[in-house]
Amino acid sequence: MDWLDDELKRAFERQQPPPGFAARTIARAAQGWRLQFPRWAVAAAAVLAIAGAGYGYRCRRGEEAKQEVLLAFRITATKVNHIQTEVLR
Amino acid sequence: MKTNLLVLAAAVMAWAAPQQFQLDLDNLAAKASNAVDLSLSGSTLRFAAKFLDGGDPEEAQIKKLIEGLQGIYIKHFEFKHDGEWTQGDLDRVRGQLHAPEWQRIVGVKSGEDKSNAEIYLHVENGKNTGIAILEGEPRELTVVNIVGAVDLEGLAELGGHFDIPKLTVPKDKKSK
Repeated sequence: MDWLDDELKRAFERQQPPPGFAARTIARAAQGWRLQFPRWAVAAAAVLAIAGAGYGYRCRRGEEAKQEVLLAFRITATKVNHIQTEVLR
Repeated sequence: MKTNLLVLAAAVMAWAAPQQFQLDLDNLAAKASNAVDLSLSGSTLRFAAKFLDGGDPEEAQIKKLIEGLQGIYIKHFEFKHDGEWTQGDLDRVRGQLHAPEWQRIVGVKSGEDKSNAEIYLHVENGKNTGIAILEGEPRELTVVNIVGAVDLEGLAELGGHFDIPKLTVPKDKKSK
């Protein structure tokens, strides 16, 4: 049974971790869990987000401008109509 | 600093189209119970036109009217009491509408509702290049300045749309 004792001793022999293992473990634990995305995907997502926000802003401004134009024509047409009615009276 | 602002204002005035005049009525804003101040440049009009629905008859008509316009400037005030605005307020605007460029085509004074209204056209080389509408009622004052070729018939055709009452012709005038 000597060979078995020797194998067991070797298997359970205390080994030193590689240099810097403790520091790397502590640093990773401090960072927490994080998804790793490729840089191009992050850049593409940022471009899409900016483009989407820009499009949304443009639509909102366009709708505001449209409402102002409708109001302008509503006031003008009402006045022209009123004046025409007075002229014809 | 003040001089710089005056120079800047003068430069802006010199750059502005001759059909555009100063709507110097800001003193009335504080007295008004309701005020509308619209300043729509040509680029704003063109931008807004992209959002007008061509399938909607009213909006399609507005879209057509906008073509050729360089700006719409409106000040409209409503007051709770009579006499909140004065003829001097209107005179400041009227004083800028000089002949021969500006021609008064309509002047109405109604004793019934104590209102007076005028329409001026800006004419260049025989073409209509702008319009000014001044209308005062005891509790309301409106000044409209449209810069560009205005289709007056198209404007009148808006009557009946947008809650604008359609032009009503009195019976005695209809028969004439």
